[in-house]
Amino acid sequence: MRLVVERFTHNALALLAVTTILFFMFRLMPGTPLAAFINENLNADQQQQMLEQFGLDRPMWQQYFIYLANLLQGEMGLSFFQRRPVTTILLEVLPNSVILTLSSLVIAYVFGVLAGAWLAWKRGSWIERVAVPAVLATRAAPEFWIGMVLLSLLSFNAGWFPSGGASSPGLAYTSNWQRMLSWDYIHHLALPVLTLALYLQGLPLLLMRSNMLEVMHEEFVTMARMKGFSEWRIVIHHAARNALLPVVTAFALGVGLSMGGNVVIETVFSWPGIGRLLVQAVSVHDYPLAQGAFLMIAMVLALMNFVADLLYIVLDPRVSHGRRG
Amino acid sequence: MAGVAETATPTVLQRIASMPLRDPFAFVGLSIYVIFALIALLADVLAPMPPLEILFTSTGKLAANLPPSLDYPFGTTNLGRDIYAQLIHGTRSALAVGLSAAIVVSSVGTVVGLVAGYFGGRIDSLLMRIADMALSLPFLPFVIVLTGFLGASTSNIVLAVALLLWPNSARVIRSQVLTVRERTYVEAARVTGASSWRILFVHVAPNILPLSFVYAAIAIGWAIITEASVSFLGFGDSESVSWGYMLQDAFSSQALSRGQYAWFVPPGICIILIVVAGFFISRGYEEVFMPRLRGR
Amino acid sequence: MILEVDKLQIDYQAKDGVTRAVDGASFVVPEGRIVGLVGESGCGKTTAVRAIMGVLAENGRRAGGRIVFKGQEVDAATTKRLLWRDIAYVPQSAMSSLDPVYTVGAQIVEVLTKRGNANRRDARKRAAELFDLVGLNERRLADYPHQFSGGMRQRAAIAMALALSPSLLLADEPVTALDVIVQRQILDMLRDLQERLHLSMVLVTHDISVVAYLCDEVVVMYAGQVIESGPVREVLARPRHPYTMGLRNAFPDLMTDAMELVPIGGSPPDLRDAPPGCRFAPRCPFVLETCTTGADGHSLANGHMSACRRDGEADLLRKEALDPVTWQRSSSFAAS
Ligand SMILES: Nc1ncnc2c1ncn2[C@@H]1O[C@H](COP(=O)(O)OP(=O)(O)OP(=O)(O)O)[C@@H](O)[C@H]1O
Ligand SMILES: [Mg+2]
Repeated sequence: MRLVVERFTHNALALLAVTTILFFMFRLMPGTPLAAFINENLNADQQQQMLEQFGLDRPMWQQYFIYLANLLQGEMGLSFFQRRPVTTILLEVLPNSVILTLSSLVIAYVFGVLAGAWLAWKRGSWIERVAVPAVLATRAAPEFWIGMVLLSLLSFNAGWFPSGGASSPGLAYTSNWQRMLSWDYIHHLALPVLTLALYLQGLPLLLMRSNMLEVMHEEFVTMARMKGFSEWRIVIHHAARNALLPVVTAFALGVGLSMGGNVVIETVFSWPGIGRLLVQAVSVHDYPLAQGAFLMIAMVLALMNFVADLLYIVLDPRVSHGRRG
Repeated sequence: MAGVAETATPTVLQRIASMPLRDPFAFVGLSIYVIFALIALLADVLAPMPPLEILFTSTGKLAANLPPSLDYPFGTTNLGRDIYAQLIHGTRSALAVGLSAAIVVSSVGTVVGLVAGYFGGRIDSLLMRIADMALSLPFLPFVIVLTGFLGASTSNIVLAVALLLWPNSARVIRSQVLTVRERTYVEAARVTGASSWRILFVHVAPNILPLSFVYAAIAIGWAIITEASVSFLGFGDSESVSWGYMLQDAFSSQALSRGQYAWFVPPGICIILIVVAGFFISRGYEEVFMPRLRGR
Repeated sequence: MILEVDKLQIDYQAKDGVTRAVDGASFVVPEGRIVGLVGESGCGKTTAVRAIMGVLAENGRRAGGRIVFKGQEVDAATTKRLLWRDIAYVPQSAMSSLDPVYTVGAQIVEVLTKRGNANRRDARKRAAELFDLVGLNERRLADYPHQFSGGMRQRAAIAMALALSPSLLLADEPVTALDVIVQRQILDMLRDLQERLHLSMVLVTHDISVVAYLCDEVVVMYAGQVIESGPVREVLARPRHPYTMGLRNAFPDLMTDAMELVPIGGSPPDLRDAPPGCRFAPRCPFVLETCTTGADGHSLANGHMSACRRDGEADLLRKEALDPVTWQRSSSFAAS
């Protein structure tokens, strides 16, 4: 329990630090501090309202605390271009990013773990000599380039998948849920997920493989052999169970990290997620929206770091159960 | 005592020097670096055509979207520019970004790691807190925001990459310092009354060098990928032709739907090669310096 | 005889050559006895007992020899059936031999249900009995290995080994990692269990005083070979091989007053390139020209075997071996 609190505090502090950095980063951007928050296109009333809400007429340190207080209430200002609250816009696109990230990570990790364990078992064979460099290459390729190649091959050339977006024009749905469960949505989702999964599978695969190789040399695996257990029991119950620990942690971290990385994938596939939103906001200098999108990504990252810590504590008895003597 | 200490230094350097010969992976990695370095140096010779020059056919029409031919090995862009020339000249900006980021990342990481690991105490925890903070910033979004607002220049990209990547190397180097400082020759130097800084740079640092190289090699790849991503998103340096610029150009000019693979596949392959070279080299050093992993 | 090992040869394949870690070792384990297997580090003790279990490192291979268990010759494949039900193993480091992510209780239950025929409920009852047998509180069954102290882990490992009531126990340095007091407790417990359960046991150790304290028979190994074996009293009182004489000098005696400790100079040969003739010759103070060539010595009298080529002079050599000066001769020898 003490550990959980400790990890929570740690990650919360990190998030606070990120928020602070972000605040000053946006204030120190070229231009007047007002420019960072107030759009000249707003009418005088609206401008005045913003000025008060964010205390932009006060000293910097006061502004900082007002900013934090606003954040805690989920208030991030108005988007310059969409003229809507940033929070609303973010919550609209967040599900798209979460679905994209989670489904590709699940595919990548299931495949990676199985293939990694299999490659460990195949060590020294020609398959290993071909597969490991090939996997390294997928790790080395820019995500968006993988996307471009797949898009060109499978969408433009073969015509199997739509070339971008999250739904076909002209379709209407009664609710967001219905939309996301529709075949059309999944059809649009497939290629970005495939791309992301292809890019992401390398880490769990290589991690699982090297963990397996390491664990198979552990004394307790030899002991399991001496006990006469079946090869299956030795590999699955003892070796893989131990080798999996860091991979599960990596999965949670991966959610946070690839949310950030989605920026490019979402752009390639015009996927209406938070990463693409960030890119658009930055390119049109929509400061409130950019700041909000960035914070949202940082928040997911911090949250997933915390989840990774928790998983590690739960899964490894050496951490969760103290020494008793 | 000095004799004891000095024996440690040359063996480490010798091991670094002889490593490529012993490890075929590292050899391949280094060769890739050398080849790209040569291409960058000889870019004007290999591709005399300026990469942004707009070309015309003999009949005076714009030489747009030409398929690969002897004259234009990778064809031309939709604006009639030679893709081969762009690829060759792109090597320069890739290496410029990669090397400068690598130098900054590994030197900051090394100095911070050395100081934190060797002196410990408050300096250590302060530096490590800062490292934690840098690591909790989402990588690509941070680079985008920074370059998007500060201006799209190569040096801003290098700055952003350096700001976020130094903690990785600093942490690992710190923990390596913690073990090295307990070794007998360091003890010996301490007993003879050598100053802290002297011990740090004469006795500890040489043992850390290989790790700095590993992180430099990794940073080269990261920086190049980052530059490509940022350029692809449209926040790149508009002055320089880089691989990321080429990919962005190809993407936004519908090269994908036209199936102009010769336009967008080669830059990706080049990036992969350089990044993989970094993996290979770091793997090679790992095998020589972290024997626990050797032979497994 | 519950176990007979005959001219066993084990090779380890490595990049830079083949190590013959066990080279023609022969010994027997009589029913209901404790046999001590002694020798310096690296002489092949662990390799020999693991070969009996049929579980070698993946670069290890049985190159020759026979292993006979209860009158039946076995190889790696046929041993598999015997594992843990008839032959069980107590490792040197119980810490690394227990799976860190399962409780100790779960690991004992696993053996009982997967290798024995117990259902889970019986298995849990039996696990509690086993813990009781080795002097552990059954509540500790729910603990993870890292929550145990070294001595307790070793006891747990013994409980695990006894789970399926094997008839032969192979214990590889079961107490080496522990402090002297705990060593004594666990050795006493092993002796007690062995008598109560009528176990046969091979006890691997590099400590000849442990052999003197606990064993009925002793097998002395040197560089992959058995150089002397026989009843403990006989061998320790009248060693006939110079190596055993030296080994006896090099360790404090638990039973009699310790005499001056005299180390044997030099170190064992590299097994990738073992010297011809007697392998102890380079370190032996009594070495003769004939020792470095020719066939093995092998003389057997009253169950006491010695491989020394000067076995005829054993009584004389033993007297000389008591004098520390003799062993200085051997160390100057080894250095040259
Ligand atoms: N997997 C292996 N590969 C190569 N050589 C090995 C391997 N395992 C053991 N050896 C070598 O075989 C010889 C015998 O090793 P073994 O572990 O059997 O000795 P030991 O008598 O048990 O030593 P200790 O008292 O240190 O446990 C040693 O020279 C050792 O270096
Ligand atoms: Mg051993």
